[in-house]
Amino acid sequence: MAAKWISWLDERLGLTTIYRTILDRKVPKVNWFFTLGSATLFLGVLQGLTGIFLTVYYVPHPEQAYDSINYIMTEVSFGWLIRGIHHWGASLLVITVFLHMLRTFFYGAYKYPREITWVTGVFLLLLTLGMGFTGYLLPWNQRAFWATTVATSITETVPFIGPFINTALRGGTELSTLTLVRFFSAHIWILPALVVAIVGIHLYLVVRIGISHVPAKDE
Amino acid sequence: MDQAEKKRYEERYQAEKQRGEKFFPDIIYKDLVVSFALFLVLILLATFVGVSSEPPADPSDTSYIPRPEWYFLFLFELLKYFPGQLEWVGTTVVPVIAILALLLLPFYDRGPLRHWRKRPIAISVMSLAVAGIVALTIMASITTPPQEEFSVVASVTDEIVIGQDLYGLHCVECHGSEGEGGEIVSVEGLEGVVVDPLNAPDFMYTRTDDTIFNVIDYGQQDLGMQPFGKAYGGELQRSDIGAIVTFMRYTWDDRVEIPQEAAAAGAVPTLGPDDIPSYSLHVEPIIRRTCVSCHRPNRENNEYLMQTYDEVMNSGINAPNVIPGDLNSNVIRMILREEIEAGGPMPPTRALKAEWVEIWIRWVEGGAPEFPLESTDTPEPTPAP
Ligand code: HEC
Ligand code: HEM
Repeated sequence: MAAKWISWLDERLGLTTIYRTILDRKVPKVNWFFTLGSATLFLGVLQGLTGIFLTVYYVPHPEQAYDSINYIMTEVSFGWLIRGIHHWGASLLVITVFLHMLRTFFYGAYKYPREITWVTGVFLLLLTLGMGFTGYLLPWNQRAFWATTVATSITETVPFIGPFINTALRGGTELSTLTLVRFFSAHIWILPALVVAIVGIHLYLVVRIGISHVPAKDE
Repeated sequence: MDQAEKKRYEERYQAEKQRGEKFFPDIIYKDLVVSFALFLVLILLATFVGVSSEPPADPSDTSYIPRPEWYFLFLFELLKYFPGQLEWVGTTVVPVIAILALLLLPFYDRGPLRHWRKRPIAISVMSLAVAGIVALTIMASITTPPQEEFSVVASVTDEIVIGQDLYGLHCVECHGSEGEGGEIVSVEGLEGVVVDPLNAPDFMYTRTDDTIFNVIDYGQQDLGMQPFGKAYGGELQRSDIGAIVTFMRYTWDDRVEIPQEAAAAGAVPTLGPDDIPSYSLHVEPIIRRTCVSCHRPNRENNEYLMQTYDEVMNSGINAPNVIPGDLNSNVIRMILREEIEAGGPMPPTRALKAEWVEIWIRWVEGGAPEFPLESTDTPEPTPAP
């Protein structure tokens, strides 16, 4: 009976094809450094999930942000765990992305035919940093407020467009509700949408081209 | 890579693939092990380290030491190497070059060799960059001073009073005792520079506390304003600078009202018709606001220092400048803006307020006492400033 259902679905969804092209394929023998990409992916997904839970209680407004985080930490069951994972996950993610980049660099994996995989990867690195930057402001505590004040004021020194970048980020001359809402929207919609799209391309390329092999001494 | 090299690579890769393993389960298994380990690490961190709690954002507390997320520390540290006018090199040129170098890497490094031993240049450049980032991060975390206890943050009144003193000591020599600006006299290297007023709406309306804080912290070296922040080689802590900014805002921005107590605490006491002013109650506050900025060590002042009663009475190459009971004392003549042997009018740029001139005169006339006289039998202990 079950077999019948599965073959019915397979006929329509092409499950076996997916299984054959993605899972049941031959790849070169590689070492543990090659797990860094999937570790990054895992942490990214985890950030997404914990982040979604956080938005259930978080309020992106200067008067409520701090208290809503406090509420998550003290009242919501396992709120502290969700926030703790999201907090530490962000740091760990930056580390794994960076190490993953170094791994592909040191093995020369950015060379033919994986150039575009690398380029999309660089965008993912920048987006990851952008996620860290925008997320840092959301708790609206002293640390968040002042770090963002300094960081956004540094953009003023960029020639010609500096003042524009600064006001665009802040939504005015000072940090305000606008800044917080802007950072929130970037953190939960804009940057994640870009990340998902680019991770899609990145993974498509990894599967299509196949993971590189560990270069031998004569290569 | 030319076609032959590409072909060689493809052949080699196919061979490796044939000798390889299955993605499922061999590779997936390793991936899951690592992901699961990281998940455990996260749960442990969340449970046993947690997220440190922080006070809520307080935009008026400029004494807070900003601390970026640790993975941005190296960028902030990097900026210290591009001070003043070069800042844009650190904020724009270096990052843009670094990002472009990364993005375009596969397009300029196109050799066929992949083993690290065969790519000495690429490997050394990247290793140096990584070492640099690590070193900058470590340096930044060592040099960032610890956060000052936030429980000791002073009330606005205290801040204003502290700020006024600090302003009197550090800023008056160039900006004038009322922030009126004008031509700088007798500050080495800046003679004749004309400073815009700080006490005007033109200035106060257009500058945020942040901007003022930053100017004091890292100066405007191209215009002659030196940095005062400790981090930039100056003498002031961040809380000091914060106090000065608070003082300036409440005193010179006519849109903000100074709290009554602050105004009272900062005021020079007024005199009754028969009172004899004393150094501790009347003269010292005036000196602190109008004179010490120049009359302290390492300034051009004919060695006349004015930071204590003793110095006011006895120091200087033309000492004594204050002779109790004698209205021909140097100080009085100079405050009355006479040109005498000991020097020209004081303060050099602008006459003292009439009430303050009167206090000086009545003080010298009355014998220049250190403490209030009325209650001679029980000299009032002066409250520490
Ligand atoms: C050695 C002289 C000197 C001293 C001391 C000094 N300044 Fe300045 N300051 C200047 C000069 C010169 C300028 C630039 C000219 C101008 O802006 O009018 C300036 C500019 C400024 C500005 C920026 C003005 C603007 O238009 O943006 C502020 C704010 C300021 N100073 C505050 C202070 C404070 C507060 C202190 C005391 C901690 C201080 N300065 C001490 C010389 C000095
Ligand atoms: C959110 C960030 C990222 C995710 C989720 C991700 C994910 C992955 C995964 C799962 C793989 C295959 C397994 C592996 O090689 O470890 C991979 C391969 C690769 N990644 Fe990433 N990556 C990210 C960022 C980056 C960055 C920053 C770079 C470089 C700048 C990069 C460059 C590459 C390259 C060149 C490959 C092919 C490696 C090979 O075939 O040997 N990736 N990525």
